[in-house]
Amino acid sequence: MPEAVRVNELTRKFGDFTAVDRVSFVVERGEIFGFLGPNGAGKTTTIKMLTGLLRPTSGSARVAGFDVGREIDQVKLNIGYMSQLFSLYHDLTVLENIQLFAGLYGVGNDRFADRRDWVLEMAQLAGHQDRLTGELPLGVKQRLALGCAVLHEPPILFLDEPTSGVDPISRRNFWDLIYGFAASGTTVFVSTHYMEEAEYCHRVAVMNRGRIIALDRPRSLKAAIQEPVLEVTTAAAPRALEVLRDAPGVIEVTMFGRAVHAMVEDQAAAERQIPEILAAAGHSVESIRPIEPSLEDVFVSFVHRSGGTLAE
Amino acid sequence: MNPTRLWAIARKEAIQLRRDPRSLIMAFLLPVALLLFFGYAISYDVNNIEMAVVDESGSERSRALVHAFESSGYFDIVEYPARYADVDDLLQRAKVRVVMVIPPRFDRELAAGRDAAVQLLLDGSDANTATIAQNYAAAIVIRYSSDVLLHARRFVLPVEAETRVWYNETLESRNMIVPGLVAVIMSIIAAMLTALTIAREWERGTMEQLAATPVHRLDVVIGKLLPYVGIGLFDVALAIVAGLLIFGVPLRGNILLLAGLTLLFLLGALSFGMFISAAVKSQVLATQVAIQTTYLPAILLSGFIFSISTMPIALRAVTYAVPARYYVTVTKGIFLKGVGPEVLWVEALAMIIFAAAGLTLAIRSFRKELE
Amino acid sequence: MSAISPLRVRRLLRKELRQMFRDPRMKRIVFIAPVIQLVAFGYAVNTDIRDTKTFVIDHDRSAASRELLEVVEATGYFRIAGRSERPADLVRALDYGKAEVGIEIPAGFSRDLASGRGARLQVILDGTNSNTATVAQGYLTYIVQGFARGRAAAAGALPSGGVDARVRAWYNPDLESRVYNVPGVIGMLILLMSLLLTSMSVVREREMGTLDQLTVSPLSAAELMLGKTLPATLVAFIDLFLVTALAILWFHVPMRGSFLDLLPAALLYILCGLAFGLLISSVSRTQQEAFMTMFLVLLPAIILSGFFYPISSMPEIFQWITVLNPVRHFLEIVRAIFLKGAGIADLWVQYAALTVMATGAMSLAIVRFRRSMAM
Repeated sequence: MPEAVRVNELTRKFGDFTAVDRVSFVVERGEIFGFLGPNGAGKTTTIKMLTGLLRPTSGSARVAGFDVGREIDQVKLNIGYMSQLFSLYHDLTVLENIQLFAGLYGVGNDRFADRRDWVLEMAQLAGHQDRLTGELPLGVKQRLALGCAVLHEPPILFLDEPTSGVDPISRRNFWDLIYGFAASGTTVFVSTHYMEEAEYCHRVAVMNRGRIIALDRPRSLKAAIQEPVLEVTTAAAPRALEVLRDAPGVIEVTMFGRAVHAMVEDQAAAERQIPEILAAAGHSVESIRPIEPSLEDVFVSFVHRSGGTLAE
Repeated sequence: MNPTRLWAIARKEAIQLRRDPRSLIMAFLLPVALLLFFGYAISYDVNNIEMAVVDESGSERSRALVHAFESSGYFDIVEYPARYADVDDLLQRAKVRVVMVIPPRFDRELAAGRDAAVQLLLDGSDANTATIAQNYAAAIVIRYSSDVLLHARRFVLPVEAETRVWYNETLESRNMIVPGLVAVIMSIIAAMLTALTIAREWERGTMEQLAATPVHRLDVVIGKLLPYVGIGLFDVALAIVAGLLIFGVPLRGNILLLAGLTLLFLLGALSFGMFISAAVKSQVLATQVAIQTTYLPAILLSGFIFSISTMPIALRAVTYAVPARYYVTVTKGIFLKGVGPEVLWVEALAMIIFAAAGLTLAIRSFRKELE
Repeated sequence: MSAISPLRVRRLLRKELRQMFRDPRMKRIVFIAPVIQLVAFGYAVNTDIRDTKTFVIDHDRSAASRELLEVVEATGYFRIAGRSERPADLVRALDYGKAEVGIEIPAGFSRDLASGRGARLQVILDGTNSNTATVAQGYLTYIVQGFARGRAAAAGALPSGGVDARVRAWYNPDLESRVYNVPGVIGMLILLMSLLLTSMSVVREREMGTLDQLTVSPLSAAELMLGKTLPATLVAFIDLFLVTALAILWFHVPMRGSFLDLLPAALLYILCGLAFGLLISSVSRTQQEAFMTMFLVLLPAIILSGFFYPISSMPEIFQWITVLNPVRHFLEIVRAIFLKGAGIADLWVQYAALTVMATGAMSLAIVRFRRSMAM
């Protein structure tokens, strides 16, 4: 059996703008594969090319062993797709949406009742099947959309920022569902800009400005980080951030709750200099200590290493 | 094409229509409502033309001529200005459309057996009414004149034209308007029904979800088309019944032929709307394009109001691209002339080409891929 | 409601204009389509009877019958499109639409003419277009009468003492229908454009959820209306200039009045159209609904305007309905200014009607709009 997804030098241009720039990677079967990056990094464009919604400018990709350029109909039979915007029909009822997608995915009458009940239960909509979809809360809609995308039990599932705008509890529940799919052998390809969600993936590709700048397991990515990260706690974190942004020896600073994470070139020198710099600016440091980098730090580090700046 | 998928789309479209009662009522009742409204309102029959008479003769003979105008039913004499100078103001302020001036010597000339002349002044700013008024007036004067001649001098005019009108014997404009109106209303309604269907789904984001499924674009386009074909056929049937029962328009040809050609026409017009929708992907733009390409062309270039044969050749060529043109010929031909396929095969062929072209364009321009 | 702030209105105006023309296709539709339409429809709106296709069956085939047919054709109103000896061919020609008029001259026509017994000929008209038929009938009767009198005079048999109608048409001496109809097309195109420009604007923002955003901003309903109306007015005015220039330069429609008299009427008329558009937009929940409502409004506005069908021939109740139709008043103004050289003083009734309608529709639109913002 081939890999779930194999992408080779995939490129997509919009006029002069290169949204996706010679991207190559492989997704194994049964994997939860995460796509991490800020908005505009090229995640959505890549997913749209893999699901046949956009034609690649150059390069090739195979999904479930089929070429996305020439065998897109075969590809579509083997995938489920859920876009970042909720896009079921608001003016259809829950059941009518399920019936529609069952029809489109060719779910036969013999299987329909089982699948319908499964989706209703999964989306916690049992007994609400005649409600108009537009009236449901966003978290429930999202689960229904996921249910409609997997009615035909596809081996590969593409989820494009499925949890954006959803509250943290619904997000947690949603990830439980994703784990469930992976456990039953489905390959899940998911993009997100929530760093903490990337931690749930088996492997993560970090994207910035159309390129994949790192690809590994979350743990390995963190281990690979070379620059030390210091957590600086201070009374006025936002102002401290401004001061440290231009300080010598500091690569990047990010807010983390009430603390500031500073990625530095030399740990010892920084531990000495930072309190001095902040004191000069009138801020006292409560504590400063080295920490294990988070994925966000990883992301910053790789952007730095690839010599680029962040996409907005 | 896959029947299950096609059916799923058609069913979805029908349910969505049902959920939107305001649009549904408009789709079902608009055509017949418009037909009833206009069927009563409009008529080419020019009657009660406001007229002024300046009778400077004031004789028995001049009064007889005025009476001939009055009793014709075409003219309504509303003013008797005393002076010729008042005529200008009456025409300027559009109080009257026609003025007849009978000169003082009118009676004297006729009594002496010489030619007399009356003057007819028309408001040419409405050329249509003026032309028709001119014809009516001239006919009345000629009849009066020959009465004078024939009765007085036993003279036989050497040639006489005997006119007969076919297909619409009484020249009743309603008979001509109703079948044409059905065609024009349906051309407009058809584009209205489908012009937004695809654009709407792109704007709402649902199309992306559809596009990621294995559904073929043929399934989407035809599936979406089906419910509207049903509505369109219902609309035409209702309009025909109203035309027959309420307006008493004769249906001289074969109703099955009318049904078949209507189906062809609807396929073409509805797919054309779908094509606009698929090509522009934005509802605002689709509205613009649909109205500009169907509304006025259907009214002005279909031969419904303005006869195509008097248009310049370049414009006549354009009318071949207006499907309403063929459908107007079909409805008038079947209703009034009672002609069959031997005459209407040209229109049928043109409408088949339109339906095929419309469908092809709609399917072609409907890309499941994003731009 | 807060006062209107020029700054906010300017911002909104810029946003509206930018949105309107973000799609370059929109620019083409808004400015080029009316021009193309005026040219096309300007040629289409012609009710003159010219070169009417005539089918002839001449059983007599004499010098007299040929002479009559020559006279008929020489008028330019009729063109002989086919001849035959079999009456069946005449039926076919009319059935197939190859001819609109048939003339059948019986055998013995010249003999009857010469003997002074009175010759007869038959004229058959296609009544499916009753307008053409009526006019053609009138012309033919006229032509044959003239022929007859000419003949009688030549034979010295014409008694005098008949009545002659000398016809003169004012304002449009040749009774050219285009001169009358092109100003009508201008009215139609401007209405279409103003309705199109605004009928989608509010409902679109509602569907996309941006209306809520505007509602919570400090913009007042009046400011929002102004922001939506001003750019549309601008566009509609540009269109009006374009098509009016075209009507005068291309179609040689005489402009006997003053363009300055036309401007206030055009402004009022455009405002009516825009206000109706906004009203449609405010009461609709979806763009589809707005679109359908616009269709519903547009057709009666056109048909009951007196453009194609004389208002005086309508049943009385419909004549009253047309009083509420701004198109009717605008067309009366446009035609009177163009063709009669009338001014505001002559047309004050129509100006007053347009003013009442523009203010009424605008106020109604603002009220509905405010309510729809609160929705």
